[in-house]
Amino acid sequence: MSRMDPMPPLRADTLTATRPAAAAPKVTTKIKADAVSVFYGEKQALFDVSLDMPEKSVTALIGPSGCGKSTFLRSINRMNDTIPSCRVTGRIEIDGQDVNDKAIDPVLLRAQVGMVFQKANPFPKSIFENVAYGVRLHGLASSRDQMREIVEASLRKAGLWDEVKDRLNASGAGLSGGQQQRLVIARAIAVNPEIILMDEPCSALDPIATAKVEELIDELKANYCIVIVTHSMAQAARVSQQTAFFHMGQLIETGPTEAIFTNPRNSRTQDYITGRFG
Amino acid sequence: MTEHTVRSFSQDLEELSGDLARMGGLAEDMLSDAIQAIASRDLALAETVVARDPQIDHLQVEVEKKILRLLALRQPLARDLRQTISALKIATELERIGDLGKSIAKRVKLIDGIEPANALKGVARMGRLVTAQLKRVLDAYTAQETDAANKVWSRDEEVDEHYQSLFREVVTYMIEDPRTISACAHLLFVAKNLERIGDHCTNIAEEIHFLVTGEQLPVERPKVDALNSN
Repeated sequence: MSRMDPMPPLRADTLTATRPAAAAPKVTTKIKADAVSVFYGEKQALFDVSLDMPEKSVTALIGPSGCGKSTFLRSINRMNDTIPSCRVTGRIEIDGQDVNDKAIDPVLLRAQVGMVFQKANPFPKSIFENVAYGVRLHGLASSRDQMREIVEASLRKAGLWDEVKDRLNASGAGLSGGQQQRLVIARAIAVNPEIILMDEPCSALDPIATAKVEELIDELKANYCIVIVTHSMAQAARVSQQTAFFHMGQLIETGPTEAIFTNPRNSRTQDYITGRFG
Repeated sequence: MTEHTVRSFSQDLEELSGDLARMGGLAEDMLSDAIQAIASRDLALAETVVARDPQIDHLQVEVEKKILRLLALRQPLARDLRQTISALKIATELERIGDLGKSIAKRVKLIDGIEPANALKGVARMGRLVTAQLKRVLDAYTAQETDAANKVWSRDEEVDEHYQSLFREVVTYMIEDPRTISACAHLLFVAKNLERIGDHCTNIAEEIHFLVTGEQLPVERPKVDALNSN
């Protein structure tokens, strides 16, 4: 009778398996936030937030209202500059370049970092002009034909071309909410940005329009770094690879989306995503 | 854990735990009665065990329905999600334990002729060991205690060793007195069923560990294969 193999002892370290690493083995950071704090006058809205957002990937910012996620998003393309009492400390880098550097022109920065808001805000112009406007502003088209190509390519990328190609001269405001949101996305990508920031882009859309925008986000992530603020846990889970949870101006937890939604480390994250927040 | 903002969600999850506790209680009673019925050759008791199995099956179907509904309507996340998924799996384990308890009970009337008293004692001893494992793992589930669950997990080795030695012992009786072969063969099946129940207990322990920590226990677990150790 042979001896059975001895069982390896049950040790603590065999029980605490390490969490699988983020999806891609080699991740290039596109946006790097280092100890970013934002003040509105005396009130501090964001406390020492440090977060790396990789390129060609979607980062979702989640958290209850007033947690600072939109403030954080807006500090990436210096939208907070437009608020007089607002002060930002810490460092935000895009490709290693400090966005708050005096040499940086915020207008050019915002061309590089497109933004999409909760409520679609098409210009009161034709569909064509909505997309062409920024391209013209930044002098990106050298001929009328090239402009037409850029507009078509942008509308195609935004998944809107087939729906509007026969009425490019109609007003952008005449489109449905979901179409307007995709028009705004087309407008943002027409100026060749590297980053797209989205602040609750689907909260005013029906499920089908939402699905189209989410599908678009999924396609866009092949070329862009996308940061999205969303109140929908399901949306964060569906579209993002990285999720960051904010609460009361602090970044509580960040990690691969899958890990955040199956096994968050922090009890506040757990309480928030499972709907237990007091 | 604090309540959900949507209170009926918490109630759904509690109801699920309640169903599992009922299934666990039924499985535990069936198992200990089946073992007693074997040990004392109590046919009437064995029949009550067989009659109780549909209750577990019914509860399992109920649990599955509730989980389906919960997934569709509540989209549980994080620990809620783990709790839901582990409940689904634990319900399956308990249903199987019920089946195995039933098949142990069914053998009471098949064991006829001469049975060696020592073999019966050995089976009863193993039965008590496995019942204790089941009880411990159910307690660990109720308390959501991963340490207690891990103990059950590592103690399965003991069950396997017991099975192995019982197997050898019963084979010896068969060789010594061929008149006992029929009874002993049935007892070997009983022992095998008990060993399987031990495995289901470790599966439940693994689910508890996953539910509480979000981590999987290592794939390797205590295992002794009686047939390959001769």
